[in-house]
Amino acid sequence: MKANRILAGSAALVVGALALAGCSAGGSDGSGDGNVEMTLWQNSTTGPGQQFWKDAIAAFEDENPGVTIKMQSIQNEDMDGKLQTSLNAGDPPDIFLQRGGGKMAAMVQAGQLMDLTGKIEGDAKANISEGSFKAETYQDKVWAMPLSVLPGGIFYSQDLYTAAGITENPTTIDELVAANDKLKATGVAPLALGAKDAWPAAHWFYWFALRECAPKTVEETGDSKDFSDPCWLKAAQDLEDFAATEPFNEGFLTTSAQQGAGSSAGLVANHQAGGELMGAWDPGVIASLTPDEKPLPDLAWYPFPEVSGGKGEPGSMMGGVDGYSCSAKAPKECVDFLNFVASDDQQTAYYKAFNSPPVNQAAQAEVTEPYLQQILEAYNAAPFVSQWLDTVLGQNVGNALNVAVVDMLSGQSSPDEMIAAANAAGAKG
Amino acid sequence: MHKSATPSTDDRPETDLAQRTGGGGDTPPPPASPRRRRRGIGWSGRLEIAVLVGPALIFFVGFVIFPVIMAAYYGFFNWHGYGPAVDFVGLKNYVTILTDPDFQEALGHNAFIVVMSLVLQGPVALLLALLLNRKMRGQSLIRVLIFVPYVIAEVVVGTGFSLMLATNGALNGLLENLGLDQLTRDWLADPSIAIWTLMAILTWKYVGFAVILFLAGLQGIPEELYEAAAIDGAGYWQIQWRITIPLLGPTLRIWAFLSIIGALQLFDLVYIIWGQYVAPVAGTSTMATYMVANGRNAGNFGYGNAVAVVIFLISLIVALVYQRVVLRRDTAGALTERSDG
Amino acid sequence: MTATSVAISAVGTSKPAGRSRGRARAGTPAVYFVALVVIALMLGPVIYIILGGFRTNSQITTDPAGLPDPWVFTNYFDVLTEGTFWTLVLNSTIVAVATTLGVIALGLMASYVLARYHFRGRGALYALFAAGLMFPITVAITPLYIVVRDIGLINSLAGVILPQIAFALPTTIIILVPFLRAIPDEIQEAAFIDGCSRLGFFWRMVIPLAVPGVITVGILAFIASWNSYLLPLYLLNDNANFTLPLGVQAFSSQYSVDTAKVLAFTSLSMIPALAFFSLFERRIVGGLTGAVKG
Repeated sequence: MKANRILAGSAALVVGALALAGCSAGGSDGSGDGNVEMTLWQNSTTGPGQQFWKDAIAAFEDENPGVTIKMQSIQNEDMDGKLQTSLNAGDPPDIFLQRGGGKMAAMVQAGQLMDLTGKIEGDAKANISEGSFKAETYQDKVWAMPLSVLPGGIFYSQDLYTAAGITENPTTIDELVAANDKLKATGVAPLALGAKDAWPAAHWFYWFALRECAPKTVEETGDSKDFSDPCWLKAAQDLEDFAATEPFNEGFLTTSAQQGAGSSAGLVANHQAGGELMGAWDPGVIASLTPDEKPLPDLAWYPFPEVSGGKGEPGSMMGGVDGYSCSAKAPKECVDFLNFVASDDQQTAYYKAFNSPPVNQAAQAEVTEPYLQQILEAYNAAPFVSQWLDTVLGQNVGNALNVAVVDMLSGQSSPDEMIAAANAAGAKG
Repeated sequence: MHKSATPSTDDRPETDLAQRTGGGGDTPPPPASPRRRRRGIGWSGRLEIAVLVGPALIFFVGFVIFPVIMAAYYGFFNWHGYGPAVDFVGLKNYVTILTDPDFQEALGHNAFIVVMSLVLQGPVALLLALLLNRKMRGQSLIRVLIFVPYVIAEVVVGTGFSLMLATNGALNGLLENLGLDQLTRDWLADPSIAIWTLMAILTWKYVGFAVILFLAGLQGIPEELYEAAAIDGAGYWQIQWRITIPLLGPTLRIWAFLSIIGALQLFDLVYIIWGQYVAPVAGTSTMATYMVANGRNAGNFGYGNAVAVVIFLISLIVALVYQRVVLRRDTAGALTERSDG
Repeated sequence: MTATSVAISAVGTSKPAGRSRGRARAGTPAVYFVALVVIALMLGPVIYIILGGFRTNSQITTDPAGLPDPWVFTNYFDVLTEGTFWTLVLNSTIVAVATTLGVIALGLMASYVLARYHFRGRGALYALFAAGLMFPITVAITPLYIVVRDIGLINSLAGVILPQIAFALPTTIIILVPFLRAIPDEIQEAAFIDGCSRLGFFWRMVIPLAVPGVITVGILAFIASWNSYLLPLYLLNDNANFTLPLGVQAFSSQYSVDTAKVLAFTSLSMIPALAFFSLFERRIVGGLTGAVKG
């Protein structure tokens, strides 16, 4: 009936008008009376990590009367979606976790981040290396303050290695295969792999690529997304050959990386696997999954082995950087807070809370765990440091590579098809 | 109770029965009733319609239709999720989707899930509903217990089953403990088994939904019919076959409709148990996991929204076909015919 | 009434009259056995989830199929005594009850019109509601966020309740329309002859007769709201407003998940929804019984 249609139509118009009317940004940082309020979104919802932020905020508020910061703890998996929604709706938090890479580039292009170039001051300027800032740089400007560097390598159980008769850490892939055989003989899975989440498997590919490809090639491919250089195919073949030696735990396709019990980290924590290739957040994860929920006492680390004949520079390292950004509309006190959190004392507290390497070199000197010291040593001595390749390549290609690696490891495709899939990823985005 | 002089001469006795007692619908009113108007609806009628439907319509258009249209708009762009969408690509996303073998595989999986859901859940739920409709001791308790799987959130079901069905998980562990080693399987990652594992989990979770719908539908069947049939000496299963099931028809068809649409939209369980990477490898990817894997998780939000529109169109086509072919009797005029005044 | 005679002719053969073999037969051992098997199958995984809460993550990793050894009570204990749990329950209850009431009210009114009125555009209206089921809502979250923000309801329970009512309308209407249609026209005519208006008929006769259907959609709406995760996640920022599913975030650290606690938490979360169901499922009886007598 016409009445009904008219009614429906006007209802739509009314709601539509309401929705569109307020499309300009809502919300404000109530600074009418000299008081500044800011919001902070971080991804530690529990434990010492969350406590660190509470303490940091309290200390900052003490030093800066009139400034209050409201903190929101969001679970890691949900952070990106929630952040993206609020950024696009025009009321983002003022301070938030920055993942870097393609996501950061997209935010910059949308004008959603505050440019921090030239605003870094104090300890942050003095004690944080150029290399760490490089990860947060896009188009020659700095968009986030780095807080923690998380290089990768093989975390392993010293006890299990000793019991298998492995006296020296493997330095080449052949030595790694030999060590794996010894571990298998003792009834333990040599390497845990959380292939359900794909990225741990992709990391094996990225490390092989880092060893096979010259640093320049890696950087160029990061821009061009073109994998025609033969070193990429060689890396894929290396991975296939390595996987053929059956180094991973049984059922790695249904093992997640970090999701609690039954994950690859859980296997290492309970001495059911010799070790795993991971980033420097792993000790914290493993600690939460051990029988007594304390750090694994025999945890140790060695860098990814070298590959003979590869064009990569020996000793190259790959890792991610955790940083925090200010939104474009945040008050200037936001930068003050970032500088504060990157200061020597705060960075030391950060390392203690998260058990992961800080970027501030004064804080790095305070690190006591042997494996963290080894990581920092290798990291600082590396001739070439790259971010995780899926960060460098962008989310689209990175995701396609994740898919392709899982396909290959499950036996459903070949190295050639894997590289072809990476090249084809451009079509969807 | 009185019997009429002549039995019905309609050659579709069930339909007549349904119309008289269960199907309602569009029986033309007997001409004798003086109040019944045949010529359109007066202004008071229109006002009633507006008042009754208005609130629901406003809510629905505002919170569902409008966001959906906005989301569909992004499907025409190459958009990375931040800031306004500026890179207009027209139908390119749609062409890529429809020619992508991964999507076609996912579509095939969805079709399989649709069919098997109906085949597995329908009969089981029907028998359970008949069972639970009797007055027996513990009836309420049993109903609650059968409904428990439906109450548990999908996320939790996913987490639990991941732990149970992983290669080194509880099910294989149990089989080993019982000495049945040779029965252990790769329930999740083996392409020849995985889809059946999925069907088992889906049946487990959603049979309760079907049961509750059928239970409600069974209440609409008058006792007198059973009594009359029993007086004539009909057996229990005869009664169910000839009376209960046909009268349950509208409920069955509605359940099937909701089940089909739900199967086409299936996401949470697959995503949590298999993950977006292993699902295609294991043969359990769905259109929705494809959407998330190639859209949001790859940073290609425009592409992802286009997949959402494709899912919508496919569901719509299936729904229209279903309405025309199956639901015609129940909702005559509701979707595909002109209304009759 | 020809109904009975038609039923009898449809049934066909006649046997010597026996005892009533309709649906009111009490349970036989066979029936109980079948029920038992079904319940065991249904509850197996649920028991696994509940028992998982009594173990540690390490136990679950090393012996997936084992019983808790030793029984760990801290998971459940921590969840129950942590202050926020009961706030979460309260918020979830408010949201779920409000959503259910809203859905029943709006859905029943709209279904009544769609079921019993005849007007042009009825088909289009029904199709519009049904179409709401067919679009993956996860993709529409960002525009929805903007809508809710613009009416000023971000970070409030009302901002979650109102969209949830809207999302639950398609299923509700699709289920209720056949139920409302099933009320025989004879009753409607009788009511009109007695001078009842259409709205009066709705109020006095339809609602009581539609009780099984209404209870069913009420239960479905309650459970959907109770378990809803995505919508509250995006719309609520303040811990004090969180609903129960969001509480699971507290057991995930930056990089890992405390599986055992999550299992304990979700086992406890089930209880209110089950309680609601068991309260109302008894009412899924009656309805048209006895309504159609000669």
